[in-house]
Amino acid sequence: MLNRIGTLFAESRDLMMNRLQNDTLIIEIAFIATLCDESKVSDFILTPFTKQEHPFDELVTTNPVFKRLEDPAKWADTLLDGFVLLQVNGVVYKLDAARIIRNENPQTMVETVITGPQIALSEDLIDSINIIRSRYPNPDLAVEERTVGTMSKTRVCILFDKRRVDASVLTMVREKLDRISSPMIMASGELSRSLGDRYRLFPSMMVTERPDRVCTGIYGGKIVLLLQGSMFALILPATFFDFMNAVDDHYDSFWMTRCLLALRYLAVILTISLPALYVAIVSYNPELFRVQLTFSIAGSRSGVPYPSFIEVIIMLFMIESLIEASVRLPKYIGSTATTVGGLILGQAAQQAGLVSSIMIIVTSVVAISNFVIPVNNMSGAIRFLKYPLLIPAIFFGVSGVTVGLLCYLVYLADLRSFGKPYFRIFSKTPSQSGDIGQVSSE
Amino acid sequence: MTRFIRPLFMLAVVLLVVFAISGCGFRDIDKRFFVIAMGIDPAPEGQKGYSITLRLAIPSPKIEPGAAKTQVETINATTIAEAIRLLKSHVDKELDFGHCKLYLFGERLIQTDYNDSLEWVSRRRDVQNIAYVAIGRPDAKTIMNVEPQGERFPGNTIFLLFGNDGTQSSYIINEQLFDFLRRVGEKGMDPILPIMRKEDNGYVVTRLGLLDKRKLVAELNPQETEMYNQIRDRYAKSTITANIKGDTLVISIDRITSHYKIRKEGNGYVLKLRMNIGGIFEEAPRGVYDQDWHKLEQAFNDQVAAEAKRLLEKVQRAGVDPFGFGLRYRATHAGNSQTWKEWESIYPTLKFDVKVNVDIEGSGLVH
Repeated sequence: MLNRIGTLFAESRDLMMNRLQNDTLIIEIAFIATLCDESKVSDFILTPFTKQEHPFDELVTTNPVFKRLEDPAKWADTLLDGFVLLQVNGVVYKLDAARIIRNENPQTMVETVITGPQIALSEDLIDSINIIRSRYPNPDLAVEERTVGTMSKTRVCILFDKRRVDASVLTMVREKLDRISSPMIMASGELSRSLGDRYRLFPSMMVTERPDRVCTGIYGGKIVLLLQGSMFALILPATFFDFMNAVDDHYDSFWMTRCLLALRYLAVILTISLPALYVAIVSYNPELFRVQLTFSIAGSRSGVPYPSFIEVIIMLFMIESLIEASVRLPKYIGSTATTVGGLILGQAAQQAGLVSSIMIIVTSVVAISNFVIPVNNMSGAIRFLKYPLLIPAIFFGVSGVTVGLLCYLVYLADLRSFGKPYFRIFSKTPSQSGDIGQVSSE
Repeated sequence: MTRFIRPLFMLAVVLLVVFAISGCGFRDIDKRFFVIAMGIDPAPEGQKGYSITLRLAIPSPKIEPGAAKTQVETINATTIAEAIRLLKSHVDKELDFGHCKLYLFGERLIQTDYNDSLEWVSRRRDVQNIAYVAIGRPDAKTIMNVEPQGERFPGNTIFLLFGNDGTQSSYIINEQLFDFLRRVGEKGMDPILPIMRKEDNGYVVTRLGLLDKRKLVAELNPQETEMYNQIRDRYAKSTITANIKGDTLVISIDRITSHYKIRKEGNGYVLKLRMNIGGIFEEAPRGVYDQDWHKLEQAFNDQVAAEAKRLLEKVQRAGVDPFGFGLRYRATHAGNSQTWKEWESIYPTLKFDVKVNVDIEGSGLVH
């Protein structure tokens, strides 16, 4: 065995291969030291082997941590997954000794809530499933495992409630997972792109780090994909309205959360249409404003040398750069960027006569209302939507904006997320409880 | 590549549709001159056409009392359209009528024939139908040149005067363009226009001009204007007065209703107008609390009814129908071409039967 492995891994210094001998037995072990927890190796193999309290060949067959590995072709992959290969009496066994470096005690960072659970999913699959299982203690919770990525062979777990899940969605997900051909898949977002989100304006599955959202999803008949090495789960199928729901909406008082929900939709409409409407109204239909506002806008714009759409593009460019910078910058400098950008730039741009003061307000409203959207990947999609809408606004005014918005609505209504209508208002997947065994196996 | 052909095709279709509905020219708000009021006068003696006066707003980022600046431009031309076109070469920005809130006809124009000048107002697309229309006395140009002291932004006085945001006077009857055009075109209803005149450096609107389909025929004084307002609009923020034994008593109205019926009685027709008015004393001699209010009410009933009847008869004598009695008649009688002819013969001999029921609700004082 060792010779073959030695030829498979040509120049890996961290590959450990040993032939050990005690009174009765010669065993061969091989593992990649950097992937494995050496204390496990010594606990399960070296110590029992050298102490000889039991005959080691019997121990190997009785202890369930050792699994037989028949196929020599799988040796390399098994080693790379952090297993120890062990040959006893000509039979090869594998032992899971993987040591995975991951974030300890993961806290929610992306989707924060005030009163909900604060723990997030883990970057390790096993831990994540542990978290989910402990919150969803039901024998119907099914866990399937596969790998994606021709090279990276990343482990993916499919979680669903086998009584509630929609069978057609499940088969579609399985097929799509099998068809993925990209060599490397590192993050949940990458997986969602490979699953069919590549050219879409709106995300068709939800990326979340919250176990409570995952559990509600599973209970609602949705499928959850967990990826080894990523603390974000994918929930699918998703509807547009799911993305507007924060988990808080289940915890906080009823009327307040309804109002917040209304506020969010208003914010979405504002953030998409406001820059385009500004151009359209200021340049085509100033009679839409009240007289007072018209005169004050006309007054504040009188010093601006550029047409309104250049003004909008300048300001939107600034604000997008600002957001991008504050995401990318290290935490310690991040606040500097916002201060410099927000306070100094906004003031100065207006005083220099580059943009009107109304435009500053428009820009901040657009930026702030964009942050109201609770799920990050939807927020990104919405952030993009205002730009295409500027084009009809520049050429056709308010009627152009209306047609543009109509196009978005038509597109949304046409979208399907894994065969399910994306823009469905009543988004609960019909429960199939009691219909035992409808989805039993692949 | 085929997967891209369908979206591209869709995009082409959408673009075609969108191009078909394209808006008017791209011109930023700061490249437009907002006309806030437009005055139409007949051309000076010996010339044909019109003399057009525009009041243009000069926008300023500061909005504070007295900061309003305007520019007034006057030009003579044979048609209004030509005048506007000529005016464009006098100013540096595009004229925009989107915020023009007042179209003022000069008194001399309205006394001869206003129909031709209406054409432009009713056809031009950026003229808003909610704009106010009025008569300028002695002419529109004088009114246009008034620059009230305390305006916060150009034209604010006009907007506040006619709109409901600012002053609410029972003497100001605002007439909006859509209603004016409707009254000009409708059988059985005649146009009215408030008369705006200059006093010191401001406007005064107290009188109402009654028009037939072509020109100004009569004018209501402030009291008649208020009465008109009470009968037609049931305008509650007004007063009624009565003279009782040498004292003038004034009631401020809290609620007012008015309705009328046109009935055939004997040979002729009678218009029965009933008004119910409730209110409290605003001006009364001391001791009114202890008097018999039924007698006071009766005096009010008689005097207000007489006043209303005088107004109706004055209107009838002028041969116009600003209340829309004719429209009511047409609406409530079988409709054929004969109906209108009937009404035309009925109206000059129509009798008026006015009954007012005043209900005094309090003395206005705390006892």
